[in-house]
Amino acid sequence: MLLAGVLAPFVLAVFAPTVKRVAGPATGWLLALLPAALTVYFAQFIGTVSSGGTITFSTPWVSDLSIHLSFYVDGLSLLFALLISGIGTFIVLYAATYLAKHADLGRFLMFILMFMGSMLGLVLADNVVTLFVFWELTSITSFLLIGFNHASPRSRRAALQALVVTGGGGLALLAGLLLMAQAGGSMELSTLLQSGDLLRDHPHYLAILILVLMGAFTKSAQAPFHFWLPNAMEAPTPVSAYLHSATMVKAGVYLLARVNPGLGGTEIWQTVLVAFGAVTFLIGAVLAIRNTDLKLMLAQTTVASLGLLVFLIGLGEEVALEAAMAYLFAHSLFKGALFMAAGSVDHGTGTREITRLSGLGKAMPITFAAAALAAVSMSGLPPFIGFIAKEWVYKATMGDFWPLAITGVAILGNALMFAVALLVGFKPFLGRQSETPKHPHEGGPGLWLGPVTLAALGLLAGLFNGLSGGLLVGPAVWAVAGEQVSVDLYLWGGFKTPLFLSLATIALGIVLLWRSRAISSTLAATFDRMWGPDRGYDQFLDLLIGTARTVTARLQTGTLRHYLLVTMLIVAAVLLLPVAQMGDLDITFRIPATDFYIFGIAALALAGGFSIAVFRSRLIAILSMGVLGVAVALVFLLFSAPDLAFTQLMVETLSVVILALVIARLPIYRSDWRGWPRAVRDSIIAGAVGVGFTLLLLSITSRTLDLALSEYFAARSYTEAYGRNIVNVILVDFRALDTFGEIAVVVIAGVAVLSLLAMGGRSLAGAGRAPDSAPDSAPDSAVTGKETS
Amino acid sequence: MLISDIQTVLPEIFLAVVGMGLLIYGVFIGDKSMRQVSWLTVFALITAAAMLYVFGSTGEPEIAMNGLFISDAFAHYAKLFILLGAALAVVMSVDFMEREQIIRFEFPILILYASLGMMMMVSANDLMSLYIALELQSLPLYVVASIRRDSLRSTEAGLKYFVLGALSSGMLLYGCSMIYGFTGSTNFDAIAAAVAAGGVSTGLVIGIVFLMAGLAFKVSAAPFHMWTPDVYEGAPTPVTALFAVAPKIAAIALFSRVMISPFGEAIEAWQQVVILISILSMALGSIAAIAQTNIKRLMAYSSIGHMGFALVGLAAGTETGIRGVMIYMAIYLFMNVGTFAIILSMRQQGRMVEGINDLAGLSKTSPGMALALTIFMFSMAGIPPLAGFFSKLYVFSAAIEAGLVTLAILGVIASVIGAFYYLRIIKVMYFDAPVEPIDDDMPRETKAIMAVTAFVTLFFFIWPSPIVDGAAQAASVLFGG
Repeated sequence: MLLAGVLAPFVLAVFAPTVKRVAGPATGWLLALLPAALTVYFAQFIGTVSSGGTITFSTPWVSDLSIHLSFYVDGLSLLFALLISGIGTFIVLYAATYLAKHADLGRFLMFILMFMGSMLGLVLADNVVTLFVFWELTSITSFLLIGFNHASPRSRRAALQALVVTGGGGLALLAGLLLMAQAGGSMELSTLLQSGDLLRDHPHYLAILILVLMGAFTKSAQAPFHFWLPNAMEAPTPVSAYLHSATMVKAGVYLLARVNPGLGGTEIWQTVLVAFGAVTFLIGAVLAIRNTDLKLMLAQTTVASLGLLVFLIGLGEEVALEAAMAYLFAHSLFKGALFMAAGSVDHGTGTREITRLSGLGKAMPITFAAAALAAVSMSGLPPFIGFIAKEWVYKATMGDFWPLAITGVAILGNALMFAVALLVGFKPFLGRQSETPKHPHEGGPGLWLGPVTLAALGLLAGLFNGLSGGLLVGPAVWAVAGEQVSVDLYLWGGFKTPLFLSLATIALGIVLLWRSRAISSTLAATFDRMWGPDRGYDQFLDLLIGTARTVTARLQTGTLRHYLLVTMLIVAAVLLLPVAQMGDLDITFRIPATDFYIFGIAALALAGGFSIAVFRSRLIAILSMGVLGVAVALVFLLFSAPDLAFTQLMVETLSVVILALVIARLPIYRSDWRGWPRAVRDSIIAGAVGVGFTLLLLSITSRTLDLALSEYFAARSYTEAYGRNIVNVILVDFRALDTFGEIAVVVIAGVAVLSLLAMGGRSLAGAGRAPDSAPDSAPDSAVTGKETS
Repeated sequence: MLISDIQTVLPEIFLAVVGMGLLIYGVFIGDKSMRQVSWLTVFALITAAAMLYVFGSTGEPEIAMNGLFISDAFAHYAKLFILLGAALAVVMSVDFMEREQIIRFEFPILILYASLGMMMMVSANDLMSLYIALELQSLPLYVVASIRRDSLRSTEAGLKYFVLGALSSGMLLYGCSMIYGFTGSTNFDAIAAAVAAGGVSTGLVIGIVFLMAGLAFKVSAAPFHMWTPDVYEGAPTPVTALFAVAPKIAAIALFSRVMISPFGEAIEAWQQVVILISILSMALGSIAAIAQTNIKRLMAYSSIGHMGFALVGLAAGTETGIRGVMIYMAIYLFMNVGTFAIILSMRQQGRMVEGINDLAGLSKTSPGMALALTIFMFSMAGIPPLAGFFSKLYVFSAAIEAGLVTLAILGVIASVIGAFYYLRIIKVMYFDAPVEPIDDDMPRETKAIMAVTAFVTLFFFIWPSPIVDGAAQAASVLFGG
């Protein structure tokens, strides 16, 4: 059943464009029925969950990796599921009105519904891989939605940026989750998180933590990854309201809250979360007041709120977790409402620039009411749920454990939020009516129903704090804390420190509000020239592309010679590194004979090798190769392998002749001459390879020779093949088929050469192919030689 | 040679005989028979695949030809995908080669023989048959790479491939002779026994590493990848499509068998090397791909990267690791064949284009093609729930299980970087304005291949068991299960 709940939005998504075509203006109302039904469906779990129960569902998926489609409803996932489906209902309605004239509305609703399903899957998933799958699906749908207005380059950039940042973070998360599953011995979060000590004491704890935090911080736009979220405001407003404030960006927070019982509580967890959260909180709040675009202001306060949530989870005490869940709940309500109201203003007037908006209250009374209610909740004034949340934040920061600085951060941040909330909620609606691109007007019920309901819920949740605390926030806190604690939210806590801090916040907030214009322009002047992570993202991409260019330019020159050079370098490494590492090659070296001509031959070979290394023309190098080959042939001759020597001599002569012929036909370019640096480099590599092979050869010859084959042939040559010359017998008898094949190859090669010659000088390609047939027979002869010696 | 031997090797014998028959037929009819010969080749490849199941599948490993040849679940699994990949490449080539006026009836026959070589590779049970099979595979491929003889790029590609291939074959052969020298046998089982009894000497290590260098070349893993981008770009696109799939599967399967069967006991001698190759390939594949503007070159780097990911599974050296490799290669086949089906159809007013920017606005001009390519790109980037995600999941979790945490994390980082260029293609298709539309005249067969591979890639997650179970069976054979 839970599975059906998660999959239903996907199914409906497929039909969304059809519904749009058929139903026309009623599309929104029709499609909104599903999320509404889902809200009701999830709401019926409240009873079970608030009395401490859980609902689970599991069906095998990829069983051999213990991946199951398993879902799990506890307080935390239920709170999220209700927010997702509940706010989703209004978003579908809102979007259908907001984009009513857009040609691709059907596609848009399809993406929104797909996102809804993914997000539900994410928060309900019990299996880590299932969670990850839905996690990435939310990134993809977010990408599609941000890029929805793809005519604008800014929105294309923002879409790709969001996908790169959150998708990349997601992959890190996968590694973290898999490591965690490995460490905890289960793929199911519900099991895994009960073995918290196992995880915290595991040697991979740090790696797990870093990877999981990478995922959570990128998704929830924590500094230094906070830049993508304001850019994502290029998306149509319903997307901003739904994905980028109320739900998707909270996925990171959800994840941190979810794994808190397993990974939380350690010193590093607290330090990192509190530090990053606090920094994000301040950056977001400061940037919010710096901006003048309604949506950007809201986006920055979202960043700030996410920072606050991370910060609270990091604090980790019971009261901090209560604050986190209460604030999360409150934030989704007021921020969703404010975004939709801002969208309505944009829709009604054609601008979102706060400096150009005022006095809309008369023309858009309903929107004004919604915005005002939501703004009051956001600013943290009683009797809204926002007030309770803020009181709890102060309670959390006042534990003896945490220094005063944190309380200071909270006051400053909250005061900024207060100012921004009132700016956004009241400034456009009060005062003298301003000139706007469009004549201001109220939209249809689709546009105002959502903001009004959400804003009103913020008020109701504050008034009926017993219910919201006991049924929603409390069970969520249990899930995060990993134990059932009593949660009691209230509006009036008496004349205690939190209240005084609230008053101080309001006072500071009013000052900030009063000077907001000046602050905004000062900040703009300061920040706009500063380096920021958004620019850092571009620089990082430039760096990546630059590196890629360099790497390919260096490695992939297109020149065969360089490829060979690299290959030879690797050969040298392969030969020398194992020797260096393992050391022992068991070499017992002795000079086999002391006759002077041995040294003569050696000198000849060395001279050949040396001249290959130093001379700069190819022709001389080829000739020198020939000299070297002749020296080798002489060695064969001396050690009684005349057949080998003969073959070697033939091959060498032929190679030199043919290569010389080819080269004589080719034009000689300047690049065919090596400069000294190249000659030296080539010689060093060649020397290294040579030394490696020599060592290896010495090592092999130091082993006792396995004479089994020689003895076999010696014994059988006469008795079975009636021949006294073992070499002959091997060639014509024991391996007669091979010899036959060799002869055939030589004949075919001969015929080919003949036909090429007959064709005349037309085909140079053919001339190049001829030498290949000659060296082909060399390894075979070498085998013969070894067997006979 | 016994009758039972013949039965074991029957699919291979069948292909060889059919190949010769087609060759004679082609010589008599001439180049105009190319279309017929191509379809007959496809038919032969499919028949060979069917024969694997009719004659070969008793379940037990069968060793034939005096221990040179082994037919087991592992070989069957790999052969099935090799034959599939080769057959699809031939199907896609028919129309393309005619349009591009590369009409040579030898082309499908060469592919047939290369496939035969690949089948022998995965069935090799001896260093001798390994080498012969490898060469049987390589020689036709050198030729098809330069089949467009009047194109400078194509001939250059063929030459580079040949020279570097010959060099790597030399290294491989050298490694084989070292291994023979230090263990006294070329037979895998005998080598395994010798390693188990005598331990691993420095000489043997060098031998193994040389062997691996040769195999890494065939797999196109870094640092032996250098031929790949040039050959991918230079060769005619159907050839590139072939190169990207069937030989890779064969080489990876051979690589796995060689490492596990004879040298399973010597894992500490090769594990480090596989890890190194894998990291280098993943890093290079991901980073270098970003700079590419030609989609065939991009696919070359992408394949280098993918080989790196597949080798993560081999590096684990465990049964789950090999299973991961096998799953990876199967999924890799579908993603790549599908992508190449699209690349093959990239034409503007009848003229081939290969630039990534030529895909701009594809979602407007050919939404079906754009959707399919999106699926492939997301899948290659490893984004769930597409097939490519699961293939990575299988190898990474095997690596983590085997304690190779750093390797797994490096792999994830590489796939993050790699994801960037796949996503960029999607961005180009969906969000950039079209300059000149891509022709909408994909041949029927290619369209069908694109649709089916996209379907498999997209819905693998619903019913993964055919591939996963097959891979599990294949892997368990290597570990004597």
